[in-house]
Amino acid sequence: MKTENAIELVDVTKKFDEATAVSRFSVEIKKGEFFSLLGPSGCGKTTTLRMIAGLEIPTEGQILLEDNDVSSTPAYRRSVNTVFQDYALFPHMTVQKNIYFPLKMKKIPLSEARPRIERVLRLVNMEGFGKRLPQQLSGGQRQRIALARSLVNEPAALLLDEPLGALDFKLRVAMQKVLKDIQRNVGITFIYVTHDQTEAMTMSDRIAVMKDGLAHQIATPDEIYNDPATAFVASFIGDMNFIHGTVRENDGKACVLNVNGDTLTARREVNLEKDAEALVCIRTERVQVNPQRSVENKVSVKLTRIVYRGTDYEATCLIGGSELRAVVQAVAWDSSLRVGDTVEVAWSAEDMIVFPREEEKDVIKYSVEAV
Amino acid sequence: MKRRISKPAVFLRGIPIMVWLLALVAIPLVFTFIMSFYTSSGLVIDTTLSLKNYKVFFTDPLYPRILFKSVRLALAISILSIGAAFPLAYMVSFKIRRGRNLLFMLCIIPLWVSYLVRIIAWRTILGNRGVINSVLMAIGIIEEPLTFFLYNQFAIAITLTYICIPFVFIPVYTALEKIPRNLLDAANDLGANEIRTFLNVILPLGLPGLITGFIFSFIIALGDYIIPMQLGGTQGIMFGNLVWSQFGFAFNWPLGAALGFILFAIAVTILGLTSKFGSTEGGFLGE
Amino acid sequence: MSSRSKAAGRGRGTALKIYGTLIFVFLYFPMVIVLLFSFSPTRTIVGLSGFTLKWYQELFQDPGLLTAFWHTILVGLCAVVIATVFGTAGAFFVTRAEFPGKGVFRSLVMLPFLLPGIIMGLTLLIFFRNLNVPLSMFTILMGHVSFTTPLVMFQVSSRLLRLGPTYRWAAMDLGANPVQTFWYVTLPMIRTALIGAGLLAFTVSFDEIVISYFLTGTWMTLPVYIYGMLRFGLSPKVYAISTIILILSLVLITFMARYTGRSVENYRVRKRNRA
Repeated sequence: MKTENAIELVDVTKKFDEATAVSRFSVEIKKGEFFSLLGPSGCGKTTTLRMIAGLEIPTEGQILLEDNDVSSTPAYRRSVNTVFQDYALFPHMTVQKNIYFPLKMKKIPLSEARPRIERVLRLVNMEGFGKRLPQQLSGGQRQRIALARSLVNEPAALLLDEPLGALDFKLRVAMQKVLKDIQRNVGITFIYVTHDQTEAMTMSDRIAVMKDGLAHQIATPDEIYNDPATAFVASFIGDMNFIHGTVRENDGKACVLNVNGDTLTARREVNLEKDAEALVCIRTERVQVNPQRSVENKVSVKLTRIVYRGTDYEATCLIGGSELRAVVQAVAWDSSLRVGDTVEVAWSAEDMIVFPREEEKDVIKYSVEAV
Repeated sequence: MKRRISKPAVFLRGIPIMVWLLALVAIPLVFTFIMSFYTSSGLVIDTTLSLKNYKVFFTDPLYPRILFKSVRLALAISILSIGAAFPLAYMVSFKIRRGRNLLFMLCIIPLWVSYLVRIIAWRTILGNRGVINSVLMAIGIIEEPLTFFLYNQFAIAITLTYICIPFVFIPVYTALEKIPRNLLDAANDLGANEIRTFLNVILPLGLPGLITGFIFSFIIALGDYIIPMQLGGTQGIMFGNLVWSQFGFAFNWPLGAALGFILFAIAVTILGLTSKFGSTEGGFLGE
Repeated sequence: MSSRSKAAGRGRGTALKIYGTLIFVFLYFPMVIVLLFSFSPTRTIVGLSGFTLKWYQELFQDPGLLTAFWHTILVGLCAVVIATVFGTAGAFFVTRAEFPGKGVFRSLVMLPFLLPGIIMGLTLLIFFRNLNVPLSMFTILMGHVSFTTPLVMFQVSSRLLRLGPTYRWAAMDLGANPVQTFWYVTLPMIRTALIGAGLLAFTVSFDEIVISYFLTGTWMTLPVYIYGMLRFGLSPKVYAISTIILILSLVLITFMARYTGRSVENYRVRKRNRA
């Protein structure tokens, strides 16, 4: 049976002496997919990428490339290529020689290789740069040459290790579009490592969110945003509120909780028993202030802070000691509201996500102590 | 830092250097150590092991005295070298704006330009018919050449200091260059004048380089035998001469081995101090 | 650069500069003396009574000196070749392998360069004596190899560390096996470090007397020969040969400065811009 998978990882584990960098990571990456590994530094995403590239050998588990077990095949014999974070263009070779290098290793003569080199230069919009040296190029140009060099061999998959990390913001956004276009045009599988969630969310078909060597969730951006599997994923992506509550009832389809005296309902599957301590999460943009239409979950609170952010307003209040923030579009904001006013904050039952309280320690916090 | 041991295959690459290390460093040292326990009478070397040589070193007052004299002189030379090299390094690092690289090179050049020629130069300058005496006589200050310039500890000191200055310059300059300039701005901003900046910021941060330079200079001065032989005369017998003569006129190789080994032990101990207290930077030409 | 002048006072700077200049003059004055004396027909400097190349001519008529000069070059070249091979291999080993005690190993290799020459001289002398090897070119060569190898290893390993492992990973990722990676990527990138280290090693070997004096029989290198000449006092011939050595060293250093302290990239770009 011809496989759909470009790359498959089966229970891949990597240990360095006593420390575990990657723990039992399994995934099937389809051909032509733009797949991202997302997580904070030290989560194991780069190590995973290097294992796919062949620069590290897994301690346990297997790596399959188009259904062939390549777990112990060295990097120079795998048909995957990597774009490194610092591009690693050979400084003593011209752009053309750099791009020719992988073909040269395959003993393809320069005459045959030239059209391929030209084609790939056209692809990244760098025609005519063949005779330049890497240090004569800007950061963005080097990045594109590194991309070209890795693509010229038409690998089964392209691995990218935070390739846009060194670029400034506007350039990064532009390059994101370029990368996505190239990936779609060429149809190559991309495996993309980043710590920037916006990047991952905008470019990927699927994302693996990792922490401390474990994959918390492997899903599409939509699922990751609206149905996070763990509190960590919920906190890492987007802007999430976290407040404490206790489970009152749970019939499998909906869960009723007691939050600071108020009764709130979450209409989704929740894996908690009655009386269990829970972590309640709502996206800040899903919290409405003084809604006109009737909404299922409502709490009466006093505003403690109002921040004008240009496109929207961020209003903060306290529920049982935890901060709750509501982000309201500027056009919808009632400008008569002041700090100290009592308002109703509300959200629908579908927008409320519930996790076990123990997961709170995994949540990424933004506070002075956390720094 | 990952404390792991590489796979055995990696060590294959290390074979050449390990062979080199064994053949030219380890084994000769071992042979020397063994020979230090032999004794010599006339031209014959007696290979029965004995501690006679070491006993001689500790009991015969000649050896400790000369060693002490050499240590004292080496210390003086090192202090003088620092006195010359440190201000120079400070000047080049902090006070020169343009052409610093060139100036650095110019301070280093004497280092690589022939040890022997520099000795010849000083013999010329200090001798009876040398530059100093000729100038003084020509001006008319003295009638007869002054002999106290040469063939004594003074001559050794000035020549060795001359040799050592570039050796001290390099680590000191490297350490000073490493001090981030914005620290000086911060100190200035917080109210420190130049002296206080120097004492509280530059000196502590440059200290490892100073220590390294001092130690380099000390070891060079302690172990030298050529300069004492050329310029020291009878007053300037140093420990190096003593060791050398065992392999020359005195022909007592076992004793020479013992003395050499003692010198080796001293040098290695002091070098060990460098890695602890000094800076181990200072590529030999800014690499 | 203004931060420099801000933190620096002005008056203090001048005093320091005067002192610095004095030290500078002190450093170069002796060498100038030698230079001057080599052209002076008499032995005294006051009343530099003329300019003559007589002493240089006498050099060329001294067969012992010319032989010694040739010997020195021979030993220098051989030592550099051997030191480059062993030193580079050692550099690769030290930068790639991990094992406890690596720091100690590195220090051990640096010993011949850091220790006073007298120690290396006598240990090697005893070593060769025990093996009944007569003192000859071979023993001197081994002596030179002992202190030039650490030099090469230090320079090359510094460069390797500065380059980092990324280029190697990239090469292997793109399909180059370890041999190809070494030949097409690593070696070109350390080329200038190798040349610089070689020049440095040659310069040090050319001038070496401390160890050579221990290990010399009748086969002499130039410094040993000159040292012998000094026994008979300071004949002006000595100044002539000293000046030649000075100039040679300067030339070598200039070349070396071009190669070290600059990475491959800068050098080649400059070359291209000129082309």
